Amino acid sequence: MPMKRKIDWAIYAAFVVLVMLLPLVMDAFWLNRVAKYLVYGMLGVAVALSWGYAGILNLGQGLFFGAGAYMLAMSLKLASTTSLQQGSDKPVPDFMLWNAEPGAPTELCCINKASFLWLPFQSQWFGVAMGLILPVLLATILGTIVFRKRISGVFVSIITLALVLLVRLVVIDSQPVTNGFNGLTDLGWFNVAGLEFDPYIVPTYYLVAVSLSLVLVGTRLLIDTRSGLILQAVRDDQNRARYLGFDVPAYQTFFFAVSAAIAGFAGMLYVIVSEFASPTFMDLTFSITMVVWAAVGGRASILGACIGAILINTISATVSETEGFAEAWKAIIGLIFVLVVLYLPRGLAGLAHDFIDRLLARKPTASPQALPVSETSSQLAE
Amino acid sequence: MAQSALTIDGLSVDFEGFKAVNGVTMTVDDGELRVLLGANGAGKTTLMDLISGKTKSTDGRVYLHDTDITNWEEHKIARAGIGRKFQIPSVFKELTVRRNLEVASCKKPGVFANLRFGFGTDAERNVDEVLELIGLTEEQDRIAAYLSHGQTQWLELGLLITQNPKIILLDEPTAGMTQAETHKTSEIVNNLKGRHTIIVVEHDMAFVREIAERITVLHLGQVLAEGNVEQIENNPKVREAYLGSKGIS
Repeated sequence: MPMKRKIDWAIYAAFVVLVMLLPLVMDAFWLNRVAKYLVYGMLGVAVALSWGYAGILNLGQGLFFGAGAYMLAMSLKLASTTSLQQGSDKPVPDFMLWNAEPGAPTELCCINKASFLWLPFQSQWFGVAMGLILPVLLATILGTIVFRKRISGVFVSIITLALVLLVRLVVIDSQPVTNGFNGLTDLGWFNVAGLEFDPYIVPTYYLVAVSLSLVLVGTRLLIDTRSGLILQAVRDDQNRARYLGFDVPAYQTFFFAVSAAIAGFAGMLYVIVSEFASPTFMDLTFSITMVVWAAVGGRASILGACIGAILINTISATVSETEGFAEAWKAIIGLIFVLVVLYLPRGLAGLAHDFIDRLLARKPTASPQALPVSETSSQLAE
Repeated sequence: MAQSALTIDGLSVDFEGFKAVNGVTMTVDDGELRVLLGANGAGKTTLMDLISGKTKSTDGRVYLHDTDITNWEEHKIARAGIGRKFQIPSVFKELTVRRNLEVASCKKPGVFANLRFGFGTDAERNVDEVLELIGLTEEQDRIAAYLSHGQTQWLELGLLITQNPKIILLDEPTAGMTQAETHKTSEIVNNLKGRHTIIVVEHDMAFVREIAERITVLHLGQVLAEGNVEQIENNPKVREAYLGSKGIS
């Protein structure tokens, strides 16, 4: 067991090192692309945590991703000089001016009925804070209601699915504050103490890479705590956990909220890298796609789901740009998914785990004193 | 009240007109092993549901020592000191045997209190002892889903022993077991006598004879008789209602 843990952490370390070294071999265009895939990897982590470890299949993870994205995008929109210079010397987002009623004051406070909501977002850090607070708040409220009422399984999935579509509709419908279908485009750059995060420079890549590494390691450590273990117990048998005295809904809600925070964080990074926020983040297909990534990578593995997301997106990009496959790539991705579900229910990570198990199992059988050796080693570990 | 571990006073539940448990009053002493007997539908499992909080009672009270725990939430009743084993064995299937017991060894109920690593040497030693007691030391690194039926039942007993509640409720702990397995289960249960107050629902009379001190017979949601094995076997009301004319076989 401890040997396996060491190998596990070594693989994490290898992944982090690899991600950190990529800028040595890639140009700015590809780095920007890979940064997006790393963001998707972070979403894979969020899905693995809630689906694989908490047993909550969230079909609306895009809600939290979108919430994080919009919160930061609002701040960055207000930081965009080109956007603000369209027809006004006042700092008002362009789309608000275009849609303003005749005679409305060109002030952010009151150009339309709800534009005052944008006022605090003039501070970029308010946007960043809200990008985490809003998803956590939504998840906590939703989780408290759903889990206290002991709703579980497919019903939770349906509720999350309905909720993301509902919020998407509201966002599209609130044209004066959200720019509706068009989303928030023409954003300014994220700015930390004078360093501007142009999406096509190496520091921006590192912002994403370091964030992902921290989230990966943090989530993995979280799962290694007692609470992480109890969470898995809750996943396997809620009732048993309840009669051992654990406050089951508190565990579910907490980890659901952590998963939401990770998704919100990913949403913010995505806005920095891609310079837009759009209601498509809350499309059903996007949320389902995240689940596919985690399934292929292995939902019971934090790193597996992360790699699954990165891998599938890299394959999609390469395949869809190969002339012969331009039309067929979606079918290919679909095929991969079907094959994985049929033959690798634990995903690629499951395959890797079996491989490591076999390697470890081979060693003791090679030595005649296999049993005593493994016994003493496990005693030492305790 | 001083040495009574569990006091049930006029406990009733009304399922839309059907009284599954109707005015049950009984006292279980500290350290006692009590067997609940009764035909199907007598209200044995419902009574356990009422004690452990799974079902809310409509009348009457339940006291754990001097604390009124009537209709508390399940996890609070569990924390107050009542552990329960289910009729259908339930363990954490995707965790190893050892991990199962480690979960049960966490003494704090909340999520934030458990945001820490490791279980401490005392807890690990306790887990080792429990593994020894339930005879699963060799299987400790196996995933619980791969255990046999009997082993799963013992693991669930192990969860209860690790949880270390004052009162243990066992709902048919030998259901579906072979004779040898039943015998081993009675050894485990006998081993717990004295350390815990135990209430067992059981049909298997061989098992009841191996473990029983006092028996309470339920019939149609009410207490029909109470006494030791001999008294119950010779009680004419019990013979008529439950055992038939042939006696305990």
